[in-house]
Amino acid sequence: MDSNDRRDEFRPPPNQSGYGALDGRPRGYDLNELKTSPGAVDLAAAFDASPNPYVLMTPELTIVAANRAYLDVTGSRLADIVGRPLFAAFDSGDDDEGRENVQRVRASLTRARETRRRDHLAMIPFSIAQPNPDGTVRFQRRLWSATHTPVLGARGEVAYLLQHTMDVTDLQQAPEPEVSPATISALDVIARGSVLHRAQRVQENNERLEQERSRLVDMFMQAPGFVAILTGPDHVFQMHNAAYSQLIGHRDVVGMAIRDALPELAGQGYFEFLDGVFATGEPFEGRESLVQLRRRADAPLDDVYLNFIYQPIRDEAGAVVGIFVQGHDVSENVAAAERQRLMIDELNHRVKNTLATVQSIAIQTARSHQDPATFAQAFQARIMALSHTHNLLTRTHWEGAALHAILEHETEAYGSGRISLNGPPVALEPAAALSLGMIFHELATNAAKYGALSTPDGRVLVDWALADQRAPRLALSWRETGGPKISVPDRRGFGSRLIERNIRHDLAGEIDMVYAPDGLVVELTVPLQREGGS
Amino acid sequence: MTHGLNGRRVLVVEDESLVAMLLETILEDMGCAIVGPAATVEDGAALAGQDGLDAALLDVNVAGRQIFPVAEALKARGVPFVFSTGYGEGGLPEEWRGAPTIQKPFTEAAVRDALMKAMGIAQA
Repeated sequence: MDSNDRRDEFRPPPNQSGYGALDGRPRGYDLNELKTSPGAVDLAAAFDASPNPYVLMTPELTIVAANRAYLDVTGSRLADIVGRPLFAAFDSGDDDEGRENVQRVRASLTRARETRRRDHLAMIPFSIAQPNPDGTVRFQRRLWSATHTPVLGARGEVAYLLQHTMDVTDLQQAPEPEVSPATISALDVIARGSVLHRAQRVQENNERLEQERSRLVDMFMQAPGFVAILTGPDHVFQMHNAAYSQLIGHRDVVGMAIRDALPELAGQGYFEFLDGVFATGEPFEGRESLVQLRRRADAPLDDVYLNFIYQPIRDEAGAVVGIFVQGHDVSENVAAAERQRLMIDELNHRVKNTLATVQSIAIQTARSHQDPATFAQAFQARIMALSHTHNLLTRTHWEGAALHAILEHETEAYGSGRISLNGPPVALEPAAALSLGMIFHELATNAAKYGALSTPDGRVLVDWALADQRAPRLALSWRETGGPKISVPDRRGFGSRLIERNIRHDLAGEIDMVYAPDGLVVELTVPLQREGGS
Repeated sequence: MTHGLNGRRVLVVEDESLVAMLLETILEDMGCAIVGPAATVEDGAALAGQDGLDAALLDVNVAGRQIFPVAEALKARGVPFVFSTGYGEGGLPEEWRGAPTIQKPFTEAAVRDALMKAMGIAQA
């Protein structure tokens, strides 16, 4: 306690032989000893004359003094109680309630001694022994309102404990009488006033504690991480917050043992970790730990990655009584790290493969273009087609690209009115996107040179559909109309070889190219789910 | 200089058709007959079981899978082979370190030298 704040202490003046006499065993107390030097206030007389009942005891609860009001209200004699332990002098009766009352008063005195602050018991039942005329004793149940004040010694240690107690049995039992101010005695005012004041203090304390408790619960419930409290060796859910509820798919688990509440965790090791924490009292921490949870009924298990800690909760004796579960869902971080790893692997592989691809395009294009100028043009156009598909894939972190976007890019140079693109959204894996990007580039280039796009009225109709939901296949047709009459070419150039090889070799698909008189018709089917990349 | 490879039957496993087409062009220029090209480990393993193979060019990463089962089969049959990879020799597991390897992109000379080394053909 701050030395400047002594309002809650009763501090005897120095040189008081009475208070200072406890150098040895407690002894009979003569209130006259409280008389101090001549001229000082006679504190002992004031103590004894006070209408408020007081009993003074050592920190070990041995009675050293009691005033007249105290003796009156407890029906005891000074000689019978001084030097005796408080609860030997007053034991509240030999039954469960009596022992509990003693326990509560002892706890309040202990708090006052430990905290060196005044402690209040607003209402405490405590039975008083009443001698019967025949010498036997009966206990009379009374209600009290008590304050326990630490009395500090010269060095700030707790020298005594002062109990101020009031019998409020009548106040409690009788309704507040309708009395006019004139009939209320001063004592009534003091008594009721101090009782009310005491009750108010206790109530304020309770309200403050309740506010703190509810603020803690609010923090607990609204914490961004998940929190749960498991109790007992079976790990019964006592409470959990909203984040935990979301984690487990909003199942109602409170009051259930975790093995019953989250049965899908069996075999994943977590029950055993909890058992271990409960048995050993050692906390357990998991990092990026995979947990498979059933978050929707009748749905497959969700993979969730968690950072978490199981912290043992101990009772006052130190025994583990429960486990505090706290953590965060780090699935997104794990997915991001995995995506980055895949990206770097894919990048390494792709860069070298792409260089080999470019090398191949250069060598093959050179074989069909003797003129350096046309070689450069054809080579550049093929590289740009490849590059554009790369751009589309980069936008999705190389997860895939949309068929429509690839087709649109390869054909937009010829005017959107001349090309009709018709089909559902299709997401292509990187390998399929790159292959189809090359294929559509070759088809469009060929159409512009020899086919429907070489005349003003020619059109290209591209239609596609998805077949077989379990093993999805893309079926696409490229039909040229309104162009010049065509015939089967004499020799197969690089473009058509590239198209066929890409479909059959890279994409494990099928392709049929029909050189019909009124225009080229290409029908191709490609499976959309293949293992791995290129 | 390439007469040692003339007429040899060479298995090619390569999932990317443009790269496969380049290898075909290079091997054809050297007078080799192409077996394949195979685009998957399964197809490569099936072709590796054929008789009369003189050598093989094996892409290490074929459609996301590793080629080593095919390499094992060829090694067991005594068919020499060359790995091709985008990762360099450092990308090979310990047991395959030191095997003839070409890195993408590759020159015609690199393909020829690696094949001849694998086949134990002395270079002129």
